[in-house]
Amino acid sequence: MFDFFKRTQLSDRQEAAVRKTLSNLRSQRRNRFRILACIDGSDESFISVRYAAQMAVTDDCDVIILFVRPIDQGLHSGGLQVRLARQNMMDAGFELPGVKHLKRALEVLKEEGLDAADWPREVENQDAWGDPAGDNKIEYKSPTGRSVVLKLKTAPDVAVGILDQYELGPYNLMIFGQPSRWRSEFKSFFESGVVQSVATIAPCSVLVARPSGDKHGYFICTDGTSRSMQAIRRAAVLAHMTGEPITLFSVAPDEASKPAAEEAVANAKALLKAMKITVADTRVAVGNAVDEIVEMGSLFRFIVVSDEGRSRLQRLFKGSIASEVMKRARSSVLDVR
Amino acid sequence: MSTETTPNTFVLARDSLLAREPAAGLRRFRRRGYQRYRLLRSNIDFSLLWKRRWFIISMMVGFSLMAAPTPDGLTHPAQIVLCMSLMATILFISEAVPLPTVPLLIIVGEVILLKVDPTKVAQSLMTDSVLFIMGSLMLAVAVVKQRLDKRIAWWIVRTTGTNVYWISFGITTVCGVLAAFIGEHTVAAMMLPVGVTLITLTSNDPKKVHNLAAVILFSISYGCSIAGVATPSGGARNAIMISYWKDFFFDPTDPATRRYLMDYVSWAIYTFPMFIVRLPIVAALLVFTFRPETTDMSRAISRLRTQVSLQGPMRGSEWMTILIFACTISAWVAFSSTLGLGVIAIAGTAAFLVFGLVRWEDINAGVNWGVVLLYAAAISLGVQMKDTGAAQWVASGVIHGMNAIGAGSDLAFNTAISLLTIGVSNTMTAGAAVAVLAPIVLKTAVAAGEDPLRVGFVTAISSAFGYLTPAAQPAFTIIYASGYLKSSDFFKIGIRMMVLSFIVLLLTSTFYWPLLSP
Repeated sequence: MFDFFKRTQLSDRQEAAVRKTLSNLRSQRRNRFRILACIDGSDESFISVRYAAQMAVTDDCDVIILFVRPIDQGLHSGGLQVRLARQNMMDAGFELPGVKHLKRALEVLKEEGLDAADWPREVENQDAWGDPAGDNKIEYKSPTGRSVVLKLKTAPDVAVGILDQYELGPYNLMIFGQPSRWRSEFKSFFESGVVQSVATIAPCSVLVARPSGDKHGYFICTDGTSRSMQAIRRAAVLAHMTGEPITLFSVAPDEASKPAAEEAVANAKALLKAMKITVADTRVAVGNAVDEIVEMGSLFRFIVVSDEGRSRLQRLFKGSIASEVMKRARSSVLDVR
Repeated sequence: MSTETTPNTFVLARDSLLAREPAAGLRRFRRRGYQRYRLLRSNIDFSLLWKRRWFIISMMVGFSLMAAPTPDGLTHPAQIVLCMSLMATILFISEAVPLPTVPLLIIVGEVILLKVDPTKVAQSLMTDSVLFIMGSLMLAVAVVKQRLDKRIAWWIVRTTGTNVYWISFGITTVCGVLAAFIGEHTVAAMMLPVGVTLITLTSNDPKKVHNLAAVILFSISYGCSIAGVATPSGGARNAIMISYWKDFFFDPTDPATRRYLMDYVSWAIYTFPMFIVRLPIVAALLVFTFRPETTDMSRAISRLRTQVSLQGPMRGSEWMTILIFACTISAWVAFSSTLGLGVIAIAGTAAFLVFGLVRWEDINAGVNWGVVLLYAAAISLGVQMKDTGAAQWVASGVIHGMNAIGAGSDLAFNTAISLLTIGVSNTMTAGAAVAVLAPIVLKTAVAAGEDPLRVGFVTAISSAFGYLTPAAQPAFTIIYASGYLKSSDFFKIGIRMMVLSFIVLLLTSTFYWPLLSP
C-alpha cells in the first residue's frame, strides 16, 4: 500500500545515487554566477543578452539564453494535430521557431566579446509535454569552465516555461527585455504579461533591461531597512565587478524625514566603504518615492531597488515600490531579492 | 573551477545576487512542480475564476433559463436541450475550457438533465458520420506521413513553368483537387513544407519576400479551403450535415425520403461547381492583393528539381499509398450509399496499417481525438434537439422573424441562412458551427416550405467562409504556424474572399441547384 505513495520506482540505492548526483550538480551550480537571459525575438529582448554578456565578467559566470515556445496545440486544426504539420516541417529540415533568435543571441554575445561559437559543445534533447521536438539545449563550455547555454524550451505558456527553467537552475539573475505593456497591480492580479508575471513571482533577482544609450552607473536606492542594506551590498559587488560607478539614493516622504534618509545613505556608504567599494555620489530627495527614483534614476544605466518580498495579494492592497519603478522607469531596473 | 577575483576578493556567486534554492522544503514539487505550484497558488483565487468567467457565465445563464417558466409550445426537455445548446455555443466561442470538455459536459447533461438512457446516449455518439470523420483523419495522417509533397510540387511546376502567378494557380488547383478528397487540413499539412521550401529557396530573409510568401502560402490554404466543401470527405462539416439529413428526414417506409441519404457522388454534383468557379477567383485575388516581390522563381525551382532528383524514383510504398487512396475514393464513389462513408474510410486506414505504410503510434499522435469527440457529442445534441421538438420550436420563431423582415423568398431565405452561418463560423470552428446551427436551420427550412437539402448545402458551404482570422479554418491555422504570415494578412484577403464566395453561393443556389432538384 505504501508503494502507492512512493515518488519513484527506483531502488533505494539507485534513488540515493540520483539524489547525490543532483545534489552535487546543484552545489556546483551554486558556486557559479548564473544569468538567465530570456528572449522572444524582439529587438528589446536582445538587450537582455547584451547585458548578460556585460555582467558575466569573470570565469565563474554562466550565461543561459532562453527562448520559450508555446506547445503546438491542434484544437483549431480540424482534427489533425498541428504537431503533425510541425513534425513534417522538421522532417523537411526546417528549424523550430526560436532557433533563429537563439542564433542571433549567439551573435550578440560575440559582439560583446563572449565568443562561444568555437567552444566545445554538448547537445541535449528532452521530451516535453508530448511535443515532437521537446526541449533542446546546446551548451558551449570554455576551457576555463565558463558555460554559455542556448535553450529552446516548450511550455503551455511562456511564463510557466521561464519559471520551470528556474527549477533547472537555480539562477542568480533573470534578465528580460522591456515589455510593451505593464498592467496595474489590480489588473495584473487577474491577467498579466510574461515579464510582469515572472518578475512578480521569480525567486531570484530580476533585471528589466532597457536601452542605455550613453548612460553609466548603478543608481542604488535604499530606505534604510536591513533588507535594503543587504540588497545594496549585493548590487554594489556586481557594480564594482563590472566597473560601473555607484550612486546611493534615498527618498524622504517629507522634510521632517529627511535626516533619516540622509542617515540611511550615510550608513550604506559606510557599509560599502568597509567592503572597500568606492561610492561615486550620494543623493537624497524629498517627495514621492517612485516619482523621485524614476526621475533621478533616468540619468543612470541601472536603477537598483530591493524587493519588498510581498505576495501578489499583499501587493494588491499595499502596492510595491519595486514593481512600480520597474513599470515606470526609463532606465533598466534591477529588482534585488 | 576558476574563480577569478578582484583585489577585494569578491566572488560574484557568493557576494553578489543570490540564487535561491528552487525546491527547498518542498521536495514533492521539485523541478517542474514547485514553480507550477507557485503559479497555481497565485492563480487559484480570483485569477482562475476570471479565466473561467465565461464557463461560469454560461453555467449561470444556462441553469437560470432551465429553471425559468417553459414558454408556450415548448416542452421542458426541449427547453433543457436549448439551454444546453446555448451553453455549448458560449463555450465553443469563448473557449473558456479546453474544447474537448464541451462534449464531455454534453454527454453528462444528456444523461443527468434530459434523463436519456446512458446506453442510448453512448449509441448516439458513434454514427457512420463520426466513423467517417475519424477514418478520414486517420487516412490523413497516413497520407501526410508518406512525404509526397516535393513530388507533387515538382509535378505542378513542370506543368506551370517558373512564373509565380502560374505556380500559384497550379498550387491552388492541385491543393484543391487533393483537398476535395482527403480533407483540407491534410493537404495543408502535407504541402506546407514544400511551400516554405519554395519561399526560402527564393530568399532567406522573410521580410524581403513577404508578399511572395503570402501568395504561395495562401494558394495552399485557399486551394484547400474552397475545395473542402466539394465532396463529403473534404471536411467534418459535410459529414455532420449528411448525418443530420438522415436523422431528421429519412424514413425507411417512405421511398421519397431516400434523397436525404446523401451519397458521395450526389454531394459532389451539388458542390463541386462551387470549387471550380472559385478557383480563378482565388488566383486573381491573390495576385491583386499581394503583389509578389519577384515573379521569376527559376532559382527556387532548380533547387527543388535537385531535391526531387536526390529522392530517386518513386518507391513501392509511395505507389502503394496512391493505390490504396485511389481505391478508397473509388469505393466512396461506388459504394457509399450501401456500405456507408465511415466504413470505407476505416477500411482504407486498415489497409495502410496492414501494408505497414503507417504506424499506429503515428496515427494516434496525429489525430486530435478531442475533435472527434466534439463532433460526436454535437451530433448527439442535434438529434436531441429534433427528438424533443426544440429545433421545431426555434424554427417557428425564426420563420416568424424572417417573415417580419420580408425574407420570404428563396433568395432572401438563403441569404439570411448564409449570413447567419458565416457570422457563427467566424466565431467557432466550421464543424461546430454546422453542428449547432443545422438542426435549427433544417427545421426552419421545412417550416418555410424550402428544400432542406438546398438549405443544408447553403449552411455547410457558408460555414467554410470563415476567412478572417488564422483560427477560422484548419488550413489557415496550419499555414499560420509557419510564421511567415501576419494576422492582418488573413483579414486583408479574407474579407474580399468572403464577399465573393457569398455571391457565388447565392448564384449557385439560385440558378444551378434548382436544376438538380426541381
